[in-house]
Amino acid sequence: MKYLIVTLMLMSNIWAYDVGDSLSEEMVSHLELKDDKVYVVDFFASWCGSCQKELPLMTKANLNLNHDEVEIIGIDVDKDPQKAARFQEALKAEGHLNFRVINDPQNLIIAKFNPLGMPTLYYIKNKKVLKIITGAIDNIDQQIHNDLKMMR
Amino acid sequence: MKTVFIIITLLLFMGCAKEVKPWEKETLAKQTMEDGGGNSLIKQFEEHIYFSKEASKGGGGVAGGGCGCN
Repeated sequence: MKYLIVTLMLMSNIWAYDVGDSLSEEMVSHLELKDDKVYVVDFFASWCGSCQKELPLMTKANLNLNHDEVEIIGIDVDKDPQKAARFQEALKAEGHLNFRVINDPQNLIIAKFNPLGMPTLYYIKNKKVLKIITGAIDNIDQQIHNDLKMMR
Repeated sequence: MKTVFIIITLLLFMGCAKEVKPWEKETLAKQTMEDGGGNSLIKQFEEHIYFSKEASKGGGGVAGGGCGCN
């Protein structure tokens, strides 16, 4: 019976990265993460209205960061690569995207993180998840600066 | 034998209970999925009736804009 329960739990895919968890080596190399640097990983999509509101604020936050210590990485989870490219180009043209973006059309990265909603921010340092922010926040730029101050 | 049958049946039905993940809600986030099919006049009309019946205004929407936020 206990084998059945374990099998069902594994099949139900309830696993997700939570605060304190370490990322797998595969994920670390995929995201190109280095030690001793704080990474703010933001999951977004072109169809997500809240993400569209948040991205300009993330860009604003990125302007005042020390890039030797902190890096923002965007993960675009649009399934259509052309749609993702058009969305990112439009954002760049308006000056609303100034950080590295990794496209995840097959949703392999986001499926591993398994966030509760979108947009979601993950603070990662030394391969460990330090904090998770789910959902859009009006003053996310200020929130990022405050969080980074606490993490130093 | 009966237990095995029940387990196999339950496993077969697991596919029916697939959860829609937040990153799979592109279609649900479309304007046409809203009340009134994205027609602002129908929505306005329905809101007008709702607010007149409830004798109040606002609070008719949901948080998150359909993208699974909040």
